[in-house]
Amino acid sequence: MKNSRLASLAILVGLLTTSFASAQQLAIKAGRVIPIVGDEIEDGVILIRDGKIVAVGKDLTIPIDAKVIDAAGKTVMPGFVDVHNPSGMSQANERNTNVPFLSVIDSIDPSRTYFEESRRNGVTTVAVVPGNSTMIGGQAAVIKTAGSYVDDMILKRYAGIKISLSPASGASRMSHLANLRKEFEKARRAIKADEEAAKDKATASKETSKTDAAKAPSNAEQQLSAMKSLLRGEMSTFVYCANAMDVVQALRLTKQYKLKTMLVLGPECYRAVDQIAASKLPVILSDTLVFWKTDPRTGDDEKIILPKIYHDKKIPVTYLVSATTRPTLGGRYLWYQAATAVKYGVSVDEALKSITLRPAEFLGVDKFVGSIEVGKDADLVILSGDPLKLKTWVETTIVGGKVVYEREKDTKLRGLLAPKAK
Amino acid sequence: MNRIVITLLITLFCGGSVAHAGDVLLKAAKAITLDGPSIEPVAILVHDGKIKQISQTIEVSDDVKVVDLGDVVVVPGFVNAYSQLGITGGSSEFTREITPNFDVQTAIDWESRGFREALDAGVTTVGISPGTENVIAGISLAAKTTGSNFAQRIVKQDTGLVITLASDPRNRNRARSRPDSIYLRQPTNRMGVVWMLRSTMQDSATKAGSADVVAEALSGNRRIFCVSRTHFDIETVLRVAEEFDFSPVIVGGEESYQLAAVLAEKKLAVILGPLRTTLSSGAEGTDPAWNRAGVLHKAGVVIAMSGDDLLEQARFAVRFGLPEETALRAITIEPAKLLGIEQRVGSLAVGRDADLVVLNGDPFEFTTNVQAVIVDGMLIDAEDKKE
Repeated sequence: MKNSRLASLAILVGLLTTSFASAQQLAIKAGRVIPIVGDEIEDGVILIRDGKIVAVGKDLTIPIDAKVIDAAGKTVMPGFVDVHNPSGMSQANERNTNVPFLSVIDSIDPSRTYFEESRRNGVTTVAVVPGNSTMIGGQAAVIKTAGSYVDDMILKRYAGIKISLSPASGASRMSHLANLRKEFEKARRAIKADEEAAKDKATASKETSKTDAAKAPSNAEQQLSAMKSLLRGEMSTFVYCANAMDVVQALRLTKQYKLKTMLVLGPECYRAVDQIAASKLPVILSDTLVFWKTDPRTGDDEKIILPKIYHDKKIPVTYLVSATTRPTLGGRYLWYQAATAVKYGVSVDEALKSITLRPAEFLGVDKFVGSIEVGKDADLVILSGDPLKLKTWVETTIVGGKVVYEREKDTKLRGLLAPKAK
Repeated sequence: MNRIVITLLITLFCGGSVAHAGDVLLKAAKAITLDGPSIEPVAILVHDGKIKQISQTIEVSDDVKVVDLGDVVVVPGFVNAYSQLGITGGSSEFTREITPNFDVQTAIDWESRGFREALDAGVTTVGISPGTENVIAGISLAAKTTGSNFAQRIVKQDTGLVITLASDPRNRNRARSRPDSIYLRQPTNRMGVVWMLRSTMQDSATKAGSADVVAEALSGNRRIFCVSRTHFDIETVLRVAEEFDFSPVIVGGEESYQLAAVLAEKKLAVILGPLRTTLSSGAEGTDPAWNRAGVLHKAGVVIAMSGDDLLEQARFAVRFGLPEETALRAITIEPAKLLGIEQRVGSLAVGRDADLVVLNGDPFEFTTNVQAVIVDGMLIDAEDKKE
């Protein structure tokens, strides 16, 4: 009796798992596939199983039990990757100046409109990074833009520590830099001490203090251990430079402590464009891509076009979207930033890469996202037409093989586009 | 240094024959004239800063300079009907609420960077109005964004009387915090704003035929621009307008789409304030309706757009539902008409000023750039040319 019950349970479980597995198959019949890596495919098919891309090509056999999305006449691209944005967290800047051990994970709120707007605009992956106001501001994380709990969304837990070279208001740059160096030095000495201790341990007795393990680590210990991971190259760093002089400092620190630096550049940093080019470090441009300046002495006006300046120096860049409440028209859309780059001479291919694969590479998640390739996560956007066109809309956004946005069901957008009198 | 290079296209000082002295022939792939159908390809003969002839091909004698702009689309220079461009040192008088005789001209710094930025974005003519913090703010004007001197730049000295029927005039009232302030002003709420407007108009209505600025506007000899954003303020505007029998142009009009049918019926035009998609609400907490331009147009309301990114405003309006031609009209000929300067700017036709925007592609693509701007026949390179 007991055995037969167990057997039937086993059959039931078996049935459940098979049906579960088949329900996870998805096929997208696209008018055009822009995979970012490799050639474009006209009338291509993308097969997805268990959230991963299993095949891409023409004339693929679609499994009979796969759910099919007909995207004929539409364009399918990898989901966009937002390389640096604090909007997913509830408070971007920590008041304590030295908090490398804090993590944005504790502050991410999946119900924030940022995530909804991201899905609406084709962004499927974002690096949530602390703001620009804290000296050592905490750890960034790379997450997907869909999910109800942050734990479901995490792609890379330790994506880098945010460092800002801008002093807090009232403090001087001299003391800011001195404090920063002090922290790096502390970590460097601690690593050295660790190494010596390890050597001693190898030769001397194995006796270690048992009480240490039971004790909760102090802030200072946590600070130190996070900073050590930076110096050991276990973690990258986002270094915010407000202006060109900060770039030089960032490069110096990078060289001195062998940091894996991503440069987060304010608009004025273009003046250090040659140093930036020579450093070959990943570059994240400011959300303000075009602006005017007036020479204080001559009164001459100058129009600064950042995409052009960096493109002319052949620097591979990524773009930020506006994360502030500054009123803009297109500044919060990654596709609009890419279109702006094209407007000033960057090729469409290059612009599309800079909002997909390149940010994924910078963040070290290109094994999973950033292009349409077999084995990668099925994070896709279905566009109504060619990318970067004025009348092209995101029709469908897919994260991990699941549809997370559909324009035809977007009542909010409909309300904005067909407003009614009250 | 990258100054904006102003090249004299017309070799004005070369003398030569009387018939063609300084004439220039511009050639482009396409012109959207807004005065009849588009012309492909297009040749535009410019004489003395004006369009002398425009058609597919024009035969000219050898002494006419020919400038082939290449594979580009030319459109009329953009017109921003409502701005505070160039105003320095405050745009509203704080010691009074009613300043109908204030002329905005004296407050303008003609060298202001704002003009260069506007020009760079293809805006060749701007309506400049005094600020919104007075109930009756003063007289606005229309001017070119570039030119050799300001007298020459002014297209029309007096484009209308600017009034405000919104909460702005009470913003500057410091009396609540500083009762002894010299800034003691009257309206502390909307009722006060409307009362001041009404009593001034009532006063002026008795002076019909006199040189009173408000009386002239009420008698139809001067256009009234009324800054209003919320639907209830616009309803008040409609009431006051009926009472005193004038036809205002609504400026801002964030929620005017809610009254689209009424505005169409009364044939009232709207100069829309700039749309900002990053904000969850517009100025004065108005509803963020992205397609307000499309709704107004569909109901039959004439619209113009304003803001420092005019072409981008028009592009997003198209994305959100406005037909392309209407969007282009809303930044060219319609604002020109509202300013009463359509005989000079806003379209490409014989006799109009040679104000053109040279675009390197379809005007309604985000990837299309303003390659150059031509004002009064003078070519201004918009693109930074770092040699």
